[in-house]
Amino acid sequence: MSNGTADSQAFSPGEETSEIAKNNPSAFLSQITGAKVAVKLNSGVEYRGDLQCVDGYMNIALEQTEEYVDGVLKNQYGDVFIRGNNVLYISSI
Amino acid sequence: MADVGADQLDDTIVSEPLDLVRLSLNERVFVKLKGDREIRGRLHAYDSHCNLVLSDVEETVYVMDDEDEDLKTIKKQSEMLFVRGDAVVLISPPLQS
Repeated sequence: MSNGTADSQAFSPGEETSEIAKNNPSAFLSQITGAKVAVKLNSGVEYRGDLQCVDGYMNIALEQTEEYVDGVLKNQYGDVFIRGNNVLYISSI
Repeated sequence: MADVGADQLDDTIVSEPLDLVRLSLNERVFVKLKGDREIRGRLHAYDSHCNLVLSDVEETVYVMDDEDEDLKTIKKQSEMLFVRGDAVVLISPPLQS
């Protein structure tokens, strides 16, 4: 408050990191749509594919999807809809 | 905005995940459920909870046989099936088998 310059300097590192996600998880998700992602479910099963879109429930649409159980490729799907409640994490790879 | 709406109606654009399910209406789909169950059938209806109505359904249940430690599969057929949405893990148009 007392020093405007110091405030803006303190803020600038935050702005750099915020290029990734703008401090907002959904902004990160929209940023990685179209990219190859790994989606891990609570069951431990992992899906790798191209992220088509995500919605507010964290429902996910993937293309060219591979299903890995215990790290072993078990199945391949063209398109996949994953119900959001099963999602543990989404990671860009 | 109106253009986008028109595109979504008559096109195969997937702008939200449930569009994938909408495009699978009247197609045979593969559905993975909680509890090591899989279902194949023709999708007649769905809603935002992923409640599903399917016909000509084959349900596969995977069961671990404790004595042999074998993975057993049990298959069940039904003509018409309503699936409660909260059991759904995954929905896919079945390219594979």
